Amino acid sequence: MFELKPMLSALWRNKVSALLIALQLALTLAIVSNATVIVKDRMEKVARPTGMDVENIIAATYMPIPTDYDMAGAVIADLDLLRRTPGVLDASVTNQIPLSGSGSAGTYFNEPNQEIGGENANYYQVDSHFIDTLGLNLIEGRNFTPTDEHVVGPNERHHSEVAVISKQFAEKLFSGESAVGRFFYAGNSDQPVEIIGVVEQHLGAWPGWSRAGNVVFYPLLVTDNHKRYLIRTEPGQRDAVFKEVEELLNNRDPQRVVQVETLSKNLERTYIGDNVMIKVLSLVMALLTFIVALGIIGLTIFWINQRTKQIGIRRALGATRANISRYFLVENSLIAGTGLVLGTAGALIINRLMVSEFSQPTLTLPLLAVCAIVLLLVSITAALMPAMRAANVSPAMATRSV
Amino acid sequence: MIGYYISLAMRSLRGTPILSALMIAAIAVGVGASMTVLTLNYMMSQNALEHKDSVLYAVQLDSWDPNQAADTTNEIPWQLTYPDATALLRSDIPTRQVAMHRFGFTVNLDESELRPFTANTRVTTRDFFSLFDVPFEYGGTWSKEADTAAVQSVVLSKETNEKLFGGENSVGKIVKLNGEPFTVIGVLKHWNPSPKIYDLNNNPFADSEELYIPFGLHRKFGIYSWGNTNGWTSRTAEGAEGYERFLLGEHVWIQYWVELDNAEQREAYEQFLTGHIHQQKEQGRFERPLKFALSAPSEWLVLNEVLENDNRVLGWASLAFLLVCVINAVALLLAKFLRKAPEAGVRRALGASRNAIFTQHLIESSCIGVLGGLFGIVLALAGLTGIRVLAMGQADQIAAMNWEMMLAAVGLAILASILAGLYPAWRISRTNPSVYLKTQ
Repeated sequence: MFELKPMLSALWRNKVSALLIALQLALTLAIVSNATVIVKDRMEKVARPTGMDVENIIAATYMPIPTDYDMAGAVIADLDLLRRTPGVLDASVTNQIPLSGSGSAGTYFNEPNQEIGGENANYYQVDSHFIDTLGLNLIEGRNFTPTDEHVVGPNERHHSEVAVISKQFAEKLFSGESAVGRFFYAGNSDQPVEIIGVVEQHLGAWPGWSRAGNVVFYPLLVTDNHKRYLIRTEPGQRDAVFKEVEELLNNRDPQRVVQVETLSKNLERTYIGDNVMIKVLSLVMALLTFIVALGIIGLTIFWINQRTKQIGIRRALGATRANISRYFLVENSLIAGTGLVLGTAGALIINRLMVSEFSQPTLTLPLLAVCAIVLLLVSITAALMPAMRAANVSPAMATRSV
Repeated sequence: MIGYYISLAMRSLRGTPILSALMIAAIAVGVGASMTVLTLNYMMSQNALEHKDSVLYAVQLDSWDPNQAADTTNEIPWQLTYPDATALLRSDIPTRQVAMHRFGFTVNLDESELRPFTANTRVTTRDFFSLFDVPFEYGGTWSKEADTAAVQSVVLSKETNEKLFGGENSVGKIVKLNGEPFTVIGVLKHWNPSPKIYDLNNNPFADSEELYIPFGLHRKFGIYSWGNTNGWTSRTAEGAEGYERFLLGEHVWIQYWVELDNAEQREAYEQFLTGHIHQQKEQGRFERPLKFALSAPSEWLVLNEVLENDNRVLGWASLAFLLVCVINAVALLLAKFLRKAPEAGVRRALGASRNAIFTQHLIESSCIGVLGGLFGIVLALAGLTGIRVLAMGQADQIAAMNWEMMLAAVGLAILASILAGLYPAWRISRTNPSVYLKTQ
């Protein structure tokens, strides 16, 4: 009923054009499916929860101008000033700014004096206001109290007796057992650190790091040559406070240089590379599909023009309009089907290269099938308009000589 | 004849405006996308030290953890420890050598309205400027002794000199760094290689430093690194306390480059490095198998993977995209030429050779290529602007097209359209004129 035999012989006469369309669809499927899997992977990465109230947090870094400067005293006075500022919910001191791409990491063990098999984590030196300032969710144990806090000089050997860690890191250290009340060891040291609390999630200084989410917080203030503050504002007050912070700190003590940034900006900057991949690949996919569709429309119109007389004869011999449209649609589906089968093979080969050479994610068959079906629908839609027009050819065409 | 063919081609393009527009658009979009990505990849792979590729070497020594190799592409740490760097500096084999790292100071001037600011600083030995061909506007580098003794001299970048002294010759003036007086001894001309080949840690596309100070100041100012500091053990610098414990510790944070002008010099230096490692092994350091590397600038860029996997993926994706556009243009050209077959039949009957028909149609497809290329440049410029916006100012230097890349864009477009036109032009030149003469 699909008139396959005459259709195939007609296609054979136009084999080059048919092949070109099939080839375009094959390449398009290979590119689009591999691009989709990369875009999906990056979108998942960008959408990971940071665990913080990113939208309402400001970070300030200051460096004193004189070399002999009372860092500890300045921190106490600054935090007191910041916490009393209208619009500010809480403020805290830290050695590094979350999501900034700059921070510290160490290797940790659950036994003393170990050399191998440790777990890496991003570590913070903070105060008892830190968890509330970031809006971290403490799911087990307790927060730091002011009595846990210690001040140590630069390059002084230091050790904290207590720490709060992230849930992900707790699971790595104690494989799923409750971590609160247990101990861990930094590097090959024999001094135990007690875990007093666990927070649900925190991406740390480098969200792109392979171990992002492994985090340790110590209640320490190291008085080195710069310090950073995190300031959480009431919702909607961030930009107003942002403008004031530098002035506020400089007015209290002008003997320093203050730099202010927002965590939202840091978060955006963190994912620049991923955003470029998502946007560029999405654009390539959209343009590719569009160009292939235009090509199909152009070529179908051309074929129909070439076969006007043949269509007229068929109509004169009793073929209905539906018969004519169906003929061109089925013909197009045959070409598209061939192209997509070729494209499936191509997609899988290219994905293997992508995984081995460029460490990109693996293409799954369901995703490939979805891409193929979408492209098939696009090609049928593209052929639909010219096919409907073909049905309008009058049977009288049969009697004319071109 | 070519002029005539070009005018024929333009007339033919105007005859089928929609089809022609489709083909030009296909080539333009394909060329625009690939030139956007290829420009980016090309600019990211620039080697500012290409002219010194046979004499400059980045030095790496494997001082890492006996239980685990360093996490780099050649399994040797990118940087050296301070004790190794100072030991290497004592060698007189290299023509020039540089030990250096990034740091930061607060900067202010006495009796000035200028607000204090922090400045990215390079702490380096004196050969930095001549080794990397950094041009001076005023003054020059510091004396040899400043590489080991605490001499408070500073070289300013052109931009810093403009900020502090309005661009005038400031040699001999005093600048306060972290509140301490430093004498300006040199001012650079504009110098900002991208990628920042001399220090690829952190961001290879960051700007060059604003200040340069001698390597002999570490102890006086307690200088540490504003770049990467990586360690593998906490049993380090036994017996030392405070800053000495950091300075003499087993962590890497110093970048090291040497200039070796010929093979003998290089061989001698390799022997020197081997000797140094053996000597350290006797003292219980360098527990891994003896390994070091001397990499030329071009090798250094590859080792550091400045062009990331993502950039390569985008490069291939854009070329595949161009290929689809070319296939698309083949199909459309074939349709267009076959429709004009009667015209070609008449020309053949009037005596035109097959070659003439072939050339004429190939020229027509090249015209599509030229137009597609010109639109492609516009699209690529728009694409690069898009990338600059997405990169939030971090790609301003690399997402930019020069004249060579624009010419390359048109060349690519013409190549693509000629490739697209080959088969359709051949096909039409083979048509049998008698078929068309009969029906007319």
